[in-house]
Amino acid sequence: MAKVAREMVEKSGVNVDELVAKLVRAASAEFTTYYYYTLLRAHAIGFEGEGLKEIIEDARLEDRNHFEALFPRIYELGGDLPRDIRDFSDMAACADAYLPDNPNDARQLLGVLVEAERCAIRVYTEICDMTFGKDHRTYELALAILNEEIEHEAWFSEFLGEGPSGHFRRGTPGESPYTSRFLVVPNGHN
Amino acid sequence: MQYLAVAYTRDIPAGRVYPVLVGGRELILVRDGQDNVYALDGLCPHRHLPLAGAEVWKGVLECPWHHFQYDVRTGENLYPRRVYPAQLAARLGDHVRPLRIYPVRTVDEQIQVGMPEAGGTPRFP
Ligand code: FES
Repeated sequence: MAKVAREMVEKSGVNVDELVAKLVRAASAEFTTYYYYTLLRAHAIGFEGEGLKEIIEDARLEDRNHFEALFPRIYELGGDLPRDIRDFSDMAACADAYLPDNPNDARQLLGVLVEAERCAIRVYTEICDMTFGKDHRTYELALAILNEEIEHEAWFSEFLGEGPSGHFRRGTPGESPYTSRFLVVPNGHN
Repeated sequence: MQYLAVAYTRDIPAGRVYPVLVGGRELILVRDGQDNVYALDGLCPHRHLPLAGAEVWKGVLECPWHHFQYDVRTGENLYPRRVYPAQLAARLGDHVRPLRIYPVRTVDEQIQVGMPEAGGTPRFP
């Protein structure tokens, strides 16, 4: 635990235990989404699926990066992750992104993806609201992740025909343009 | 059915829930976007956690714990029900149960919630 770092956050009026609980639920959502997006990407096949595959892959790898970027902050603030992965996955801040009944239906697939991103946007907006002007490090981290989740939503929503996202493509898969600076392990995306 | 006075209309904040204890039951009062007030169970059916910190936007209530969403008028689960596979319904059905709703009437700015008389049957969906 980073003792003084936690103390400063407490002094600023943030309920640190509540914040840590939110970060753990967010980390769980990233971890479980990474798993579910693996299935969704694997099933993105055929004419429409092939087009979707690349953005699912970016979102999938970036969600894994979000987990990687989040967990050190949990420990710094005196929190920890559950010993049992089943307990951990049950805590996820968002519903499971299950493979739809008909994975060959791109609209069904996209429905799951876009809703998962929308949930993530709500989660990180909440953390940003809670930490803004108080816990600068968590705020910056949550904001970086929020930037990427917003992009993910826009990609999937564009594919659903809800309008342009302005997105072109990542330089490399799962580049995490906002979150990569928080990653401890170099990802070669500098 | 007996109606119990639980709050004044001015107590219910826009976009937030107003928790009340009625007959030993935790309920929440919420507004939809049009000043109608609704009374719903105060515990989310997903993991039975309190909805006290939930947000309401355009008639949709969002649980603060795992962000499940409910229609405040009917209590129906909107998300994740709309993306959960029907094939897993037997296992996931419990996760997407509706929120119980209670009848509400407003008398002179006073919000009254209808509760079953002792021994009566609750009017739940
Ligand atoms: S307890 Fe409400 S969404 Fe999980």
